[in-house]
Amino acid sequence: MLFKTRIKPVPSILRTALAVNSALLLTLVLLVRQGSAQTQPAIVQAHLTLVTPIVHAGSTIRASVTADIASGYHINDHHPSLDYLIPTDLKFTPIDGFTVASILYPKGKVEKLAFSDTELSVYEGKIEINAQLKVAPGTPPGEYTLRGKLEYQACNDHACFPPTGVPLVAKVKVVSRNS
Amino acid sequence: MSKQNKIILVLVVIAIVIGGLYLANRYWIAPVTAARPQASSGKYPAAPDFSVTDIFGQKLNLADYRGKVVLLDFWATWCGPCRVEIPGFIQLQKEYGPQGFQIIGISMDDDVQPVREFYKQFGMNYPVAMGSDTKISELYGGIIGLPTTFLIGRDGRIYDKVPGAVDAERFATEIKTLLAASPGEAVKNFQPAGASGNIEVETPAEANSPVPGVDVSKLNKIELQRYKNQLSKQNCDCGCKFNVLQCRTNDPSCGVSRELAKSQLEKFQKLNPRI
Repeated sequence: MLFKTRIKPVPSILRTALAVNSALLLTLVLLVRQGSAQTQPAIVQAHLTLVTPIVHAGSTIRASVTADIASGYHINDHHPSLDYLIPTDLKFTPIDGFTVASILYPKGKVEKLAFSDTELSVYEGKIEINAQLKVAPGTPPGEYTLRGKLEYQACNDHACFPPTGVPLVAKVKVVSRNS
Repeated sequence: MSKQNKIILVLVVIAIVIGGLYLANRYWIAPVTAARPQASSGKYPAAPDFSVTDIFGQKLNLADYRGKVVLLDFWATWCGPCRVEIPGFIQLQKEYGPQGFQIIGISMDDDVQPVREFYKQFGMNYPVAMGSDTKISELYGGIIGLPTTFLIGRDGRIYDKVPGAVDAERFATEIKTLLAASPGEAVKNFQPAGASGNIEVETPAEANSPVPGVDVSKLNKIELQRYKNQLSKQNCDCGCKFNVLQCRTNDPSCGVSRELAKSQLEKFQKLNPRI
């Protein structure tokens, strides 16, 4: 059986009021998030370098993230040894015309840490993560900004810091085949 | 405007106010309203009170444990050293609970679900509340490294702050000393059984300040702006490469910028006797 329902148009005053309401609540929530934000000492310094900073549309960008982990600290392997550990993750902000083809993480160092009964695979010192990004055919020539984040959670033998990330940025130039 | 629209507008305004008040209470007011002013920032500062809901929805007020020795543990399920301490804490609760000892866990996890699962898996026998979306950690001077453990005496004062995981035996020694006091009685010449961190706590005015950690409630709007301008012109010595105001905002746990900001406020107040 088909019912025909006549839907009354929402009065404009109600639409405006709802929009104001949503905006106010969203602002409040954002303020709360900002107010409770805390930072920690920079345990990891990381940089994004493009091996191929000038590319044609349809080709591949080779990128490398070098991370220096402060002495005495470690961050977890991308494939952590235990379920509860937070993995190191390289993430790129999606951008039209660019897709992440692959990310290759280094093998972690297997260590017996004071707080664990089992050996854990961790990153220490200097590490390099390699990535390949595909430039879609037809991407218009021009300069593009690639943004990403190296997310990690650091510990030493006795304490841990909350998960955080290092913002990464690099510029890539897409040129036409004729240039 | 028709009568119907007026009614709708009034209802929506009421919804905005109620929603706003709920969020403000949930995130800003509730965790710190019970906090009493610090009697002094002496050797053993008063433990700031807090009122929260534990991971199973029960009210948890620090004030309810006044007269007991309380171990306040800031921890997280993703923190290996924190997890190692938990079985020892369960044992301490079993052993000293009947004598007036209570552990309270404050989890800094973002989500409650893994905390509930961990609680059940490990058979935890003391209340745990979430600390990631409340001001508790700021009241306790800003908790960055985990675990961080505070030991509170029967008189409601903090006798020890232990950054990092340590053996439960260390706490057992200190708990026995604190339990020997009568409820409300101060323990003179308390000796930590190991390395301790600087005990820094904040008043609600400091925790909720636009210059975190510094009570600027006596400044009017213009004076506050002038004071903030001064802080933004002063470099912080903690190695952060920020100015003092930026360091205070970005890292409320930094003791260096807090001292610099407090010292600058004193100078500011001397130059402005009205304050």
